[in-house]
Amino acid sequence: MRLRGALNGLRQAPGRLAVGVALLAGVFVGVLTVTRRGVRFLDHYPGIGTIAGAVEQRSLEALFTVLMLAVAFSVLTSAVATLYGSQDLPFLLSLPVDPVRVFTLKVIETYVNSALLPAVFTVPVLVGVGIEKQAPAVFYLIALAALLALYALPVAFGAVAALLLMRVAPAGRAKEVATAASVALAAVLVLGMRALRPERLQHLTPAQFEQALTRFADLHVGWLPSAWGSAAVWGALQGRLSAAALVLAAVSAVALALVARLAAMAYRAGWFRSLDTQGRQGVVGVLPPARWERPIARLGPAGGVVVKDLRLLARDPSQWSQLLVLLALAGVYFISTASVGAEMQRFRDVVGALNLVFLGFLLAGVGIRTAFPLVSLEGEGLWLLRTGPVRARHIVAAKFWGALPPMVLLGGGLGVAVAGRLGVSPTLALATPVAGACAGLAVTGLGVGLGAAFPRFDAASPSEVPLSLGGLIYMALSLAYAVVTTLLFAYPAYRTLRQPGAFHWGSPLGLGLLAAVLLVTALWTLVPLAFGSARLARYESGIG
Amino acid sequence: MIDVDRLVKTYGRVRAVDDVSFSVPQGRVVALLGPNGAGKSTTIKAITGLLRPSAGHVRVGGFDLERAPLGAKALLGYVPDRPYLYQKLTGRELLRFLGRLRRVADAERKAEAWLAHFGLERSANELIETYSHGMRQKLTFAAALLHEPQALVIDEPMVGLDPRAAHDVRRLMRAAAEGGAAVLLTTHSMDVAEAVADSVLLLDRGRVRAMGTMTELRARVGRSDASLEAIFLQLTDQAADDRAAATARDGAAA
Repeated sequence: MRLRGALNGLRQAPGRLAVGVALLAGVFVGVLTVTRRGVRFLDHYPGIGTIAGAVEQRSLEALFTVLMLAVAFSVLTSAVATLYGSQDLPFLLSLPVDPVRVFTLKVIETYVNSALLPAVFTVPVLVGVGIEKQAPAVFYLIALAALLALYALPVAFGAVAALLLMRVAPAGRAKEVATAASVALAAVLVLGMRALRPERLQHLTPAQFEQALTRFADLHVGWLPSAWGSAAVWGALQGRLSAAALVLAAVSAVALALVARLAAMAYRAGWFRSLDTQGRQGVVGVLPPARWERPIARLGPAGGVVVKDLRLLARDPSQWSQLLVLLALAGVYFISTASVGAEMQRFRDVVGALNLVFLGFLLAGVGIRTAFPLVSLEGEGLWLLRTGPVRARHIVAAKFWGALPPMVLLGGGLGVAVAGRLGVSPTLALATPVAGACAGLAVTGLGVGLGAAFPRFDAASPSEVPLSLGGLIYMALSLAYAVVTTLLFAYPAYRTLRQPGAFHWGSPLGLGLLAAVLLVTALWTLVPLAFGSARLARYESGIG
Repeated sequence: MIDVDRLVKTYGRVRAVDDVSFSVPQGRVVALLGPNGAGKSTTIKAITGLLRPSAGHVRVGGFDLERAPLGAKALLGYVPDRPYLYQKLTGRELLRFLGRLRRVADAERKAEAWLAHFGLERSANELIETYSHGMRQKLTFAAALLHEPQALVIDEPMVGLDPRAAHDVRRLMRAAAEGGAAVLLTTHSMDVAEAVADSVLLLDRGRVRAMGTMTELRARVGRSDASLEAIFLQLTDQAADDRAAATARDGAAA
């Protein structure tokens, strides 16, 4: 039924289907090529001929581990939604079908939702290994089965975690807690991986590199499922079904079957629990406005909208979890830039000048997740604003003022931090925070304005909102802003490289360039806001 | 107070509302009736500013919705048929937000009074997502009445309300009219319309089929004891017959 629904959806959007297939084919070819080159490189690397196979096997284990972790992080939210919150569950359970069968299908649905993409990504890796190792035909069958069995384990683990969460999380909050936990874990993983600073490998001598590979080849942790997976794949290269493959298949099948049975039991208990806690009373009595909201609320209707948005942001993990990802992104950016070890002032200034470009790109990426969805997040509640005595431009302005402080703080703060950490010359020390703060301003205006011009009030989550023509225009224009301001900063940056100690902003040319940056920023901020306000004013709610 | 003048709303080639004119004077309740797809909700959305008319005008308290929307909307209170409220706000926070949005003087006191009126004071600190449908409907009424509107537009007011709340809402609509407000409601419940409305407007396929008080409508169908339900069925059947006859005539002419 689900498959038919998906196929019908695709049939109605052939363009989307074509783009999807092309994208998939591109990823497949790209991953296949990289894998084949990697295997060839290791097989022919001088001096490690005997351990090349072990290094490749460990690499596959590492890939399996990372992708299993990715599945484990995403499966928590997916499992809560599928095993507990599916709208078709009451209907399916009212049919004369064994509940365990229903939940077996739901577990498979959870598997498809959370593990399909990692599995699709891994297939070309296995195909690449098979081709390079001239594996027999049976290899592809066993490897695919091992792959499917491998990702079943984090799905089972995530589903059990979701069921436990249903027991301990406050009633009705399990999905939020699951989302927050998934995003927090993913952010920690991203930061952790970046903190390892893999670029250090570039500075190794060939001898040190060989030593590192040997150590890596010895890193065999046999009890990890990823090790079973790689052992199954390596056994299949010789055309045999290894014990690891059998263990993996058996454990996965048992785990999925048990999870389906557990889910059937837990659903009933959870349903009654949610009924029991429905009418729970909280604080009774008149709660006055919080202290923090009073000064903002004095700003009039726009202040009221900002207060409302801040409250919704704090209570909706699908919104604030986006901020965690962005903080992780900012952290990765800072670690990456700060890890550039440069002795010479000139080299530090070159990195500082490049940082002017990258800050714009970084803030563009942040803005599409934060500023762009703001108007769309009104969702079906838009009628409350549209039937009130407020103009569309006031709504857009309220969203802009709400998003501006964090964006300017992020841009300016990163500018100060990076410039300070790098120890750039005075001209760049001023340019970097100015570039960051201006990019924060422009990206907020662009995001809120274009988000209002191309709203998606029906989006299920903030991350869906930018998947539109407006999102594409936003990305193009925000990158154009980064390029234009970089060109304006280019001359002072060039002068800095020539005379590192001098301060170039005091000259008429320097002041003129600063004014030009501010003018461009004002244009990039105000024009989209005006455009978005005009489009939102003409927006019509659905036909009733 | 509410004046709809030759309102037309088209969606592509479909005329959802076709040359509709009517008025809701101060102190009166007008029920907008019609079968599904008659254009009731489209008319309501045009009156509340959620849709722009393709032609014609809507005025509220003399303010044209196109030219002076803020003046018109300041006088309007609206209860939609499917009231979506911010799920992650509490009932009290929602009213506080709307008080700020509409710059309501003494909003805190008025909000507490309406919460108490609808029996929501004990759940006012709970998130709206925990409310039952009836509680949400009551909160929507409180939100619509917070700024003491002079024109109240209500789309399907009784859906999800318990008998006590439904009774209260009927009294509330009458009380609002007696207090000088113009009340326009759409409903599929003929009992509610007959009990509350001073006059009735029947829409069918986007056009006005009948308009008047119960006495005038009974005179039109020629039955002095007819209920509103009987009048509704007779007029909509008659409209369907007229359409069928027109189609047959067109077919014969072709």
